[in-house]
Amino acid sequence: MKHRFTGYLATSLLALTVALPVQAKDTVKIAYVGPLSGGNSALGIGGRNATDLAVKLANENPTSKYSYELVVVDDECKPNIGVQVVTKIATDRSIIGSVSNYCSAVAMATLDIYKKFNLPMIVWGAVLPDITYAQKISEIHRVNGTMIQPNMVAAEFMVKQGYKTWAILHDTTDYGKGHNRYFSEYLQKNGGKILGTFGVTADQQDFTAELTKVKELNPDVVYFGGLTPIGIRIRAQMEKLGIKAQFQGTSGIKSDSYIESLGKELAEGTLSLTEGVALERLPRGAAFSEAYAKHGYDQPFEAYGPFAFAAANLIIDAIEKVGPNRRKVNEELGKTKDADTVIGKVSFDDHGQNIIPLVTKYVVQDGKWVVWEDSEYGAGKRKLKGL
Amino acid sequence: MRVPLTSRPVLLFVVAALVTWALAWALLGAETQLEVLALFCVTVAVAVVAAKMKLDAPVAAAASSHPRALGIACVVGVLALAVVFHEDHFPLLLLCSVLLYITACLGLNIQFGYVGIVNFAGAAFFGIGSYTAAMLAGHTGLPHVLVLLLGGAMASLISCVLLLPVLRTRGHYAALVTIAFATLFRSFLEVNDALGGPQGMRIPALNLFGWDLGADHEWGELFISFYDNYVLFALALAVLAFVLVRRLERSWMGVAMDAVRTDEISAKVYGISIARQKIVAFMFGNLLVGIAGATYGMMTGYVAPNNFTFADSLILVSMLLLGGLGNPWGIVPAAALILILPEKLQFIQEYRFLLYGVVIILILLFRSQGLLPRGIRRYFPNREAARG
Repeated sequence: MKHRFTGYLATSLLALTVALPVQAKDTVKIAYVGPLSGGNSALGIGGRNATDLAVKLANENPTSKYSYELVVVDDECKPNIGVQVVTKIATDRSIIGSVSNYCSAVAMATLDIYKKFNLPMIVWGAVLPDITYAQKISEIHRVNGTMIQPNMVAAEFMVKQGYKTWAILHDTTDYGKGHNRYFSEYLQKNGGKILGTFGVTADQQDFTAELTKVKELNPDVVYFGGLTPIGIRIRAQMEKLGIKAQFQGTSGIKSDSYIESLGKELAEGTLSLTEGVALERLPRGAAFSEAYAKHGYDQPFEAYGPFAFAAANLIIDAIEKVGPNRRKVNEELGKTKDADTVIGKVSFDDHGQNIIPLVTKYVVQDGKWVVWEDSEYGAGKRKLKGL
Repeated sequence: MRVPLTSRPVLLFVVAALVTWALAWALLGAETQLEVLALFCVTVAVAVVAAKMKLDAPVAAAASSHPRALGIACVVGVLALAVVFHEDHFPLLLLCSVLLYITACLGLNIQFGYVGIVNFAGAAFFGIGSYTAAMLAGHTGLPHVLVLLLGGAMASLISCVLLLPVLRTRGHYAALVTIAFATLFRSFLEVNDALGGPQGMRIPALNLFGWDLGADHEWGELFISFYDNYVLFALALAVLAFVLVRRLERSWMGVAMDAVRTDEISAKVYGISIARQKIVAFMFGNLLVGIAGATYGMMTGYVAPNNFTFADSLILVSMLLLGGLGNPWGIVPAAALILILPEKLQFIQEYRFLLYGVVIILILLFRSQGLLPRGIRRYFPNREAARG
């Protein structure tokens, strides 16, 4: 009996000495803001899990100076709830940084609160350019791009391929309008010519009127800023009217259902330039996917998970470097240049916007979206229309 | 024939008021998982003990026979909370939201509780108030008092569009009309660029006669959160709305409205104009909702269509039902619970609405008429109190 007791004592003492250095670390809190309920919850939960993974990995790392705790709040993708929860985390002085906002409206509504309480934050998903560019707030940073970057790259890329004239169709939501605005702007800078621009509603069925006009204009390329359902209809009706132009879309049509609905032949050669990462092409992407799988999350990390992971890592790295102080962490984040993250290099400009555009060019080849550089089109074996 | 101050009901009432205040304070201040759990246990314990000792009936009797004392206790309680939390933005923001939602619910109470129109577009009228405030305060130099009033007037005015269909339909059908309006309102906001489209727009902070409600106060060591300004204003608004609604209820209009709700045909037989009662209730109710919405918009500083979804309208209606339909007093605890509880359950993340739903169902299971059901109308409350 006595023996066993001494055994316990010894084990627990041993455990204590092992545990002591861990306990001696100060706990630092970082926050996560995103939609965990409602229509956007899948992406929000993916981002939450990715942030959680970053915190866990930092805690598992024996060299990290602090132990980290994640405070998760749900903004429901509603600006008023966003104001509530961000007020909550911003006034909690033990929280040093925040991985914030998938929804643009919530981000816009809460910018001033981060500013007021000097809480450094990094946007991981919201794409509205105004978040970083409407004002200059030093607390606001963003790792993901806006709709500006893919259109900048798209305009340059397409002109380089040798196309000269465009007809633009876009839906009249913010998404479509924004894409039209930035693509037109950069296309003109690169010397492309826009023959006509047509706004269509998001649930329009018949595009004969617009497309007949397009046929008359006879452009090299038809650009479409909008989502898959009308993308499918427009592509199909182009064929019916005998428009031979190349079809170019945005991230909105890059989905498997686009190809399934149109069939291999019709979808072949469609281009989509999306803002985002092809994880498998990045040096750290595989390690991230592996760690995510190993930690056993039930839900996938979705399109923006890697951005949340990168944002959390940047905040943790800054805290490791300058200590848990909001102002210092904020200064440190502002200086971020060529930081190596899961989404590639990150550099913030003076508005806190990541300026290394990560744009992936996809083309449909044999019924699959293939990254341009890996495709037969990119290799020169196949040709896009009209070239 | 006043009840002496040291009598048992008075003592009980004071104790109950203090306990309620302490619970409200704990609810607003609880941050960690442990605190919230402890608070939940304490609340259940208090409720069980009160029920076992049969204390609830005398307290309720004391409260309902002294509505003025109850009102004063509530106002003092809110002011005490504002003082206690003067440095903490977040609890004050919650407190303020509760007060404004109470004001909005009082408006809906006239419609649903008195005259019997179920309005499932509450959030839409709330939104009309917010958007009107955003447009007027953002683009014109109108004094903000006027902006708030116009926010309410606009909600009232736009609800005129619904009058004809609401008057021509009854019950479920009238409810359907309001649901259609709620959906319509949201789509309208989303396609309308002048109103900010789906991204919404900013609103400047409220400024009443040079009193900037959006500014913190600092006197030496003393720091007072700007939300305290809003708490004071929202409290004044809620009290005003409350008094108005109570007066309405006690008046002949209130009696007529009750008659219309319970039996339209008999009411008509007695010469009550059903259309008139419904129009007054619908428009006055939406006026209150609109004013509350305008204030809320200026407090949070941002409006977007996502704030005013059909789900938010349902939340407003559920506050009425949880509180006890037709009893303005019931709205107070119901609004507090429905707004603060999900916020305090943030630590369970995506499951919080599940647990929150379970709690609401449990409450309604044990109190199927709501937390504070409406009593039978007493025509001479003072006389009865004196007799009792």
